[in-house]
Amino acid sequence: MAKITRRNFFKLGAVGAGMLALGNNVNASAIDSKKVKYDEEYDVVIIGSGYAALSAGITAAKKGDKVLLVEKMGRIGGNSVINGGLLAVVNSPKQKVEGVQDSIDLYMEDSMKAGRYINHPDLLKVIGKRGNDALKLVEECGAKFYDKLSHLGGHSVPRTYLAANGSGSGIVLPMFDYIEKLPNVTVKRRTKFDDFILEGDRVIGITAREKYKFDSKLKDDDFENKSGTKKYFKAKKGVILASGGFSCDTFYRTQQDPKIPADADSTNQPGATAGVLLKAFELGAVPVHVSWIQFGPWACPDEKGFGAASNFNINASFRYGISVNAKTGKRYMNELADRRTRATAMFKLVNDNKNYPINICDQVAVDKIIPDIAEKALKAGVVKKYNSIDELAAAYGIPVAELKQTIGKYNDYVKAGQDPDFGKPVDKTDGVLIAKAPFYGTKGVPKLHHTMGGLKINTKAQVISSYTKAPIPGLYAAGEITGGTHGASRLGSCSIPDCLVFGMVAGENI
Amino acid sequence: MKKVLILIYFISLISLIYANSQKEESNALSSSIKITPEIKKKYPLKHSHNKLSLDCIFCHVGQGVNPENFEAVDEDKCLFCHKSKIYLAKRLEFMDTLKANPHNSVHDGPNLYCDECHREHKPSVNMCSECHLKEIKNNIWMKDTP
Repeated sequence: MAKITRRNFFKLGAVGAGMLALGNNVNASAIDSKKVKYDEEYDVVIIGSGYAALSAGITAAKKGDKVLLVEKMGRIGGNSVINGGLLAVVNSPKQKVEGVQDSIDLYMEDSMKAGRYINHPDLLKVIGKRGNDALKLVEECGAKFYDKLSHLGGHSVPRTYLAANGSGSGIVLPMFDYIEKLPNVTVKRRTKFDDFILEGDRVIGITAREKYKFDSKLKDDDFENKSGTKKYFKAKKGVILASGGFSCDTFYRTQQDPKIPADADSTNQPGATAGVLLKAFELGAVPVHVSWIQFGPWACPDEKGFGAASNFNINASFRYGISVNAKTGKRYMNELADRRTRATAMFKLVNDNKNYPINICDQVAVDKIIPDIAEKALKAGVVKKYNSIDELAAAYGIPVAELKQTIGKYNDYVKAGQDPDFGKPVDKTDGVLIAKAPFYGTKGVPKLHHTMGGLKINTKAQVISSYTKAPIPGLYAAGEITGGTHGASRLGSCSIPDCLVFGMVAGENI
Repeated sequence: MKKVLILIYFISLISLIYANSQKEESNALSSSIKITPEIKKKYPLKHSHNKLSLDCIFCHVGQGVNPENFEAVDEDKCLFCHKSKIYLAKRLEFMDTLKANPHNSVHDGPNLYCDECHREHKPSVNMCSECHLKEIKNNIWMKDTP
């Protein structure tokens, strides 16, 4: 067998590495506890500072554990502070108020359908069952939510809470304030996890670099960045991996899906790389669904990242409006289908010489959403306001007669409560038509959003080993670094409950 | 140790103000570091800091006398003069047209490190533009980062 350097280990990718490791010393790269003099000792060490990390940290700290969170970036919260702040909860208090009939079975069926039935149902069930506990946890920290439930693509019923400030930070900032006040929790930013420390086959600590500074100019920061001072942290009860996905790891994501161009835009923060994931694979963790990478269909090509348009499209255009092919003026998809279905349909247009689809809704739709969301998107110039359909059609070069016909047909479908063309659940869109001026238009494009795959965990958030088929002692994981729960594609607003619930579960079980 | 540092800062601040008022380049604590034109060019200061004739060791205290070996300083050095992020956020409330006040933003609260955006010896950046390029480009929120 070829000599395994770190470099060509990375090149092999997850599955290759797992197979290679099978024939070799299982924990070749981790550090033996006997050779280590610890700088600091904790009960629990958590990698990351987003929803999953904070949920795990708060839960473990409440049990009395001494907890350390290490975050490689200068910012707290990673992707958790820059997303739309949407949280699906089954059988929630708001559903009771709005009279929505929901069930864990229905939630699982919706998720399995979007996930192409390769989801791990046991994990999905945990989220369905414990969503209300996660909601209680964040509300106790001070998170506030918008009064009305949102209804996102692929969900049979409205079940989505929206953070009152229209951003995930509305959940993370209260959690961070809460955890910072706990005397038994330490948070170290710009501190980069490097490796596991093992006692026998048990994870008992980590090495990390303090004063590390992420450098977005490097092609591969995980590998090239040598900044910082090495430290050894003991984790007597174990380590929880909550470091997120790898949407910004251009090398690793292309290995998983060669169709993704190196310059493809992502909604993620630049630190979303595969470093921690690969270390866990090295330790023998089972890789699951690593090549299923999800695109968010609601983004806009006129701005970078998640931007200001995404939340507008999620909450207004897709639910209460339509998306049309700019060349034909016709609809081409169910605007409330799951993300994979929509992204695939949109790419068919975009790949035709950047024929970006146009998302359209009216004033009634905009009046139904948080005013901030519309105001931000309009000021940024990514969503535009038009006095008539004629004006809107002219602005995007859409054939106006066809567009008017499309809108007329759609309005009829809404009135009839049925969309025979694409099956959009128009019976659940509050009867909103596209009729009242002004009208709103946005160019649409899907952007790299979520890496579905990752580490295999069980219902106790323990990471499973490829070799023993049993939990790796002392190793837990939660959130986007895990895989399998949502299968091939997850529904919107299902990541936050995943992160919060499994963070909590990891904190309870460690 | 902390008290000694604060004392050193205090003395150097007084001496700087004095030096500035005398329109002189040098001051008592800079004797060990000769600020040559080359060093000035290599490590330029921001306009306002330059006007105060800030010396290397005003920030790089306890890091020796060779600028080549200096490390980036912690933000307590910035906040020694600039007080706190909440204070800065209050002063810059006029920027807060869409909860975009960078010192207490909707995403990060007052939790960002100064040097996510502000750089002393090289051009500053605007971290918000990672996602909000349009708002920055169109000067909807804020002008160039000082």
